[in-house]
This record gives sequence, structure tokens and C-alpha cells, in this order.
Amino acid sequence: MYQYTEFDRLFVQRRAAQYRDQLTRNLAGQLSDDEFRPLRLQNGWYVQRHAPMLRIAVPYGEINANQLRALGRIAREFDRGYGHFTTRQNLQFNWIPLDRSSDVMEALAAVDMHGIQTSGNCIRNITSDAFAGIAPDEVVDPRPYIEILRQWSTLHPEFAFLPRKFKIAVTGAIEDRAAIGWHDIGLQLLKNEAGELGFKVLVGGGMGRTPVIGITIREFLPWQQVLVFIEAIVRVYNRYGRRDNMYKARIKILVKAEGKKFVDAVNTEFANILERDAGGTEHVIPQAEFDRVAASFRLPEGLVEATEAAPPQTDVEPAYARWLQRNVHGHRLAGYRAVTLSLKRPGQPPGDATADQMDGAAALADRYSHGELRVTHDQNLVLPWVRQSDLHALWLAAREASFATPNIGLLTDMIACPGGDLCALANARSIPIAAAVTERFSDLDELYDIGDIDLHISGCINSCGHHHSGHIGILGVDKDGAEWYQITLGGSDGSTLSGGAVPGKVIGPSFAADEVPDVIEAVVDTYRERRAANEHFIDTVRRVGLDPFKVSANGARRSTAAAHAA
Amino acid sequence: MRFIEPRRNPWRSLSGEDGPVVGIQPVANLLLDFGQWHAFRAQWPEGMRVGVALGNDVDVEELAPDLPRLTLVALNFPKWVDGRAYSQAHLLRARYRFEGEIRATGEVLVDMLPLLQRTGFDAVVLRGDQSQDAARRALGFFPGHYQGDVRDAQPLFAKPDGTADALVRKAAPQFVSAGEGI
Repeated sequence: MYQYTEFDRLFVQRRAAQYRDQLTRNLAGQLSDDEFRPLRLQNGWYVQRHAPMLRIAVPYGEINANQLRALGRIAREFDRGYGHFTTRQNLQFNWIPLDRSSDVMEALAAVDMHGIQTSGNCIRNITSDAFAGIAPDEVVDPRPYIEILRQWSTLHPEFAFLPRKFKIAVTGAIEDRAAIGWHDIGLQLLKNEAGELGFKVLVGGGMGRTPVIGITIREFLPWQQVLVFIEAIVRVYNRYGRRDNMYKARIKILVKAEGKKFVDAVNTEFANILERDAGGTEHVIPQAEFDRVAASFRLPEGLVEATEAAPPQTDVEPAYARWLQRNVHGHRLAGYRAVTLSLKRPGQPPGDATADQMDGAAALADRYSHGELRVTHDQNLVLPWVRQSDLHALWLAAREASFATPNIGLLTDMIACPGGDLCALANARSIPIAAAVTERFSDLDELYDIGDIDLHISGCINSCGHHHSGHIGILGVDKDGAEWYQITLGGSDGSTLSGGAVPGKVIGPSFAADEVPDVIEAVVDTYRERRAANEHFIDTVRRVGLDPFKVSANGARRSTAAAHAA
Repeated sequence: MRFIEPRRNPWRSLSGEDGPVVGIQPVANLLLDFGQWHAFRAQWPEGMRVGVALGNDVDVEELAPDLPRLTLVALNFPKWVDGRAYSQAHLLRARYRFEGEIRATGEVLVDMLPLLQRTGFDAVVLRGDQSQDAARRALGFFPGHYQGDVRDAQPLFAKPDGTADALVRKAAPQFVSAGEGI
């Protein structure tokens, strides 16, 4: 993974010092709460339902065992002993008192971590494919490019107060595991016909009240120009994005409203920077800089590529076989595998990990993965460097440490935001819904029979749980102070399995909380009745349409039927 | 960065009290709004000091041909979290090579100082309740930056080998003690 330079290290220390200065002024009454707010947000500090929430950046999901242990210590010393991994590959704490926040920033800086730009109306922490650099289907390792982008966007002086938040996702693989179409800017690394490397650039995607898939603004942008092109996009957005209504302030609204005019403005701005600006070509990335950063992504020492294929395993225990099937993934290095540690198990919210579990995962990483891990978009952890010959031992150890639920990609491997239990924005709780669905589908045979399916749960329209892109989406809504849930079907992150990125469609009026597990079951049963041989859930939904699902879902209405009758 | 004390500010604007301005007597150090400048630019005597205050929704392109005649461009922050004026300042410096003063007005808070300085502002009128000490301190936290800016267009990566290390060595002994002076 990326190795911090001394400069990087000093930079995050100074950021912590700057934050302490701001916090001190706030506590001394010299900086009002209102004016402190945007400053703390740009360091990841929200004030939530019970206490401040801290969102810590895990750039493109890469984290090492020492960092994870440090997060465990923070969970114990400052929080209530657990944290929550998010769809944007970050980690959130929920119970840290604000007056201790700068102590936490210093503790983070000591392990090369921070909360810079994990919130606020700025360019957010950049996300990627959790299998970047190790995936067999990768065209190009995106991490060095993202690191260059991360550095460029860090404390960018012109783009710290945009109309609204700004999210960038990058993939270098054929399969889009980063949901790039759903981002303000999505970048896909590829090679053109001449074999040159560049980016396909998407712009204007986003979730929220108005789900939109990004449009392609460049089919092929030479990689050297990516900082300049993004500067052009963000400058046009900063100047012309709406600021009168926060619900219409994302770049997707500007792109939709202006269409070709927006594209022309970006292209003109891009040309102007390169041709007219003083120093306008300085951010064209030289090969030497790329090489320097790429060299900072050191391969772990002691990797030994296998020279011959491992002998096929026979007589595998069924439970181990299931884990191999769901939680173990191909690797670009012969003899190696990537292994998902599932954070989706009964009794804990999706993506949550206790301090002990963080230590446990760190220990597994040290023992089996050269001390490295990844945080995934689906809110799990991945061990990226596991020797094939260690798999069985790892399985036993992961089982012991609560990480071996063999459900990756299945219904209970759901995405969920923290919801109304913790988040001040939420209209409804997510965690009890996730727990009820997990309980309902606890039979592994049934889960395997249902097969690959993305279930996404958001507690409100801000869509942190990405309900729009779930094959099944659950959205919490508030009606007269009660929690209701809108169900959508047919959404997609934009993966091969699910087809292109697309928002799901609502299947009818909202359901009461206690109906939701029945509705999910009814929808799943309809799929099992209607599916063709080997047909995935999403394909059946697309083939037969929503109607059969609406009928079966309506059959689950009890409270809502009573409410409608009354 | 210059801190402008409102009492010692020689620039005078022509807004408000007497209703719409119908005629302007050219005198030095008038700060006109964009509409006033537009109306009187043809008559404005060459060489007489004049400034223009731009709203943050004005395209600075429109002012480009007149920039060599201007001593001052004042850019406004109606709310401090409205970041449009940063782009205006950047363009004035990087694209239109404006060499006069760029002054931040409106809701200007101490924590904006690093951004203002790096996008091309060289003078600020702080909001009345803001501390100049805190503002100066806000300018001193970072040893350097990753991306280029209008003061130094070269990003860190374009600088000669060893620059980042030199910045670290130079910064280390004088680590800013946070909260100092409060």
C-alpha cells in the first residue's frame, strides 16, 4: 500500500494542529458554533443525534493492521467500543465528545490518518475498487492515479467551499466495483486503440432526492491531463452550480439543466487552462511523478508467486466450501487470493466492528495478509494478500474471530447506513430493518438458493445506504412521526452482474416497519417462482417487470392495509 | 497579506445614501460597482486610481479588457461559505494577469486566510469581530501544499527533487503550538 512521505506525515500533523486551534477558539467563545461547523465538517466532525460523529478517511479503502489497531484504541478510549465502516470506504465513530476531538485527530495523525474532506462542501475522500491492484480483471492499477488526485484535492484552496459535496470514484478494472456512474465524477482507466492509457470521464451522477447516472463527458482523456480536466469541471461547477437551494446544488442538477452548454463550458475551461493560464500546464502529470507515486505502493515483502497451480482440493468440508465460494476471490498473482472478512452477521449492524474485532482483523492481516487490509464499498474488510495454501487456516481463524459468515454477495451481505438510531438526518431506523432481514434469512441453504442480490438500506433520502442502486432498495421515510419504508426494485451499482448503473423503481406506497421482512420475503419468493434456470434476481426483475412483485408485496400489507382502511 | 482597517481605508464607494448615482466626478480612489464602472469607464481619466467591486456572480471575463486600468478589484463574500470569489480571484491572476490589489470584502473570517492568500487575494477587510492575531496564525500552519496555486503555480511534484524534504526540515523546529495566544 501507499507509504507516507515525511511531508505527508507533517501535513496531517499540521492539519491536527490547525484543527486544535479552531476547536480551542470555539471552546473559548471566539469562534461561534455556526462558523466552526464548516471547519469541523472538513475534518470529518458532524454533530449527530447523540454526540459528534467522526468520519475518518481511508483513502481508496487501503488500511494497515497498525492503523486498524489505532482505530480500535480510539474506539475504546474515546468512543463506546465500536465503529462503522461506510459505503465510501471510511470509518465512522458515533460517541466521541467534541472537546476531545482534537486529541483524536492527533492520535490519527500519529498513524498517518485523518478526517480531511470526509465531509463538507468540498472534494471528498476518493473511493475506488476494493480489489484495486490485485484484481485479475484489472486493466490498470488505479491507486497511484488516485493518490495523485488525493494529494491534488487535499486542501485545494479554490475548491473548499463548493455549492455542495463533491465525490469522485475511480476504477481500473473491467467490472465496476466502485459504482462510478453514481458519482459527481466517475473515472475509468482504460487503454485506447493505440494502447495509450487514459480515463473515461463521467460527470453528474448522484443519489439523494434526484437519482441520476453520470454522463460521459470524455471517452478518452490522456491520463497526464486528468488533474487539469477535473480542475475545469470543478471550476465550472464552483462558478455556476446553484447555491440557492441545497437540494438542487449538486453538480448533477447543473449538468442536467445545462446539458451541452455544461460540456462546452468544461471543454472551453480545460483549453483555457492549458493555453492561457500562467502555469496552466504545471498540473499535467509528468511520467516521473507517476513513477514516484507508483513506487510508493510497495508490494509487501516476501510475496512469492506460485510457479505451478495448487492441487485441486478434494473432500472439502461443506462449510469451508461455502466460504471458498463466497468469500474468496481471484488474484492477479498466482498462488494468492483475496479474502473478504464479512461484517454482516447476526447481532451486529452491517459494517460495524467492535474494538476487539478491529484488533482481531488486524491480527488476521498480520498473520495472513502482510499486515494489509481493504475496506469495501459493501462495508466489509478484505485481506488482499492471502496465500492459497493458508486459506484453510485463515478460514478457521476468521471463524473464531466472527468474520467468516459465508454470505458475500448474498442477501444478508446488505449495505445499510447507521440510520435513525444514530444519525440526526434519518427519517427512520435502518439497523432494526437490517437485523430483521438478517434474522429472517438466516438459513444458508435458502440464501444460496436465492443467490447474488444487492440489498441496500437508507434511513433517509440522503441515500448513504445507496438504496437507489440496490436490486432491492429500502428507503426510510417519515409520515406523521412514524417510520415507513419505501421499497424499490431493479437498481444497479453498474456491475457486470447487474448491468449498467440505474436507479430502482418504487413498487408502491410505503410499508410499515414490521411489514418489511415479509415484503422482502414475498419479493424473493416471487423471484424464486418466476426465475428461469440460473437467472439472477436482477435479471428476473428486468425480464418480468415490477407487477408480479407488486402483487406479492401488497399481500404482505397488514398495518398499512389497516391504515388505508381507516 | 494586508489587513485593511476600515478607518484607514482610502477607498470610497458611491453607493446608497443619495439614491442611484447619475453622474460621477472622477476622483482618485473611487471604488465603483461593476455597473457604475461600466457606465463611466469610457470617460474615466487614464492613470487615475480606480477600483471595481465585483459581485461573486459576475463573470470576471467581462472585466478583462479594463484590468490594466484598475488599481483594485474587490471581491465579495456575501456568506463566508460561498466560495465563488476564490475562482474569480484565481482567474484574475492566472488567466488575466491582473497585478493590482485583490481585496476580500464581506463576511471575511480568519479561517479563510490560507485560501484567500493562495487564490490571489493580497488584502482583506476582516469582519469586525475577527482577530488579526488568529488570522496571522491561520496562515502559518502548513509547511507547503500539494497543488500549485496562483502564488506558486508549481505543484509539489513539479518542484526539484528534495523540495518536500527541505520543507519538512525547515518546518520542524518551529512547529506551531496550537491555540497559542488564546
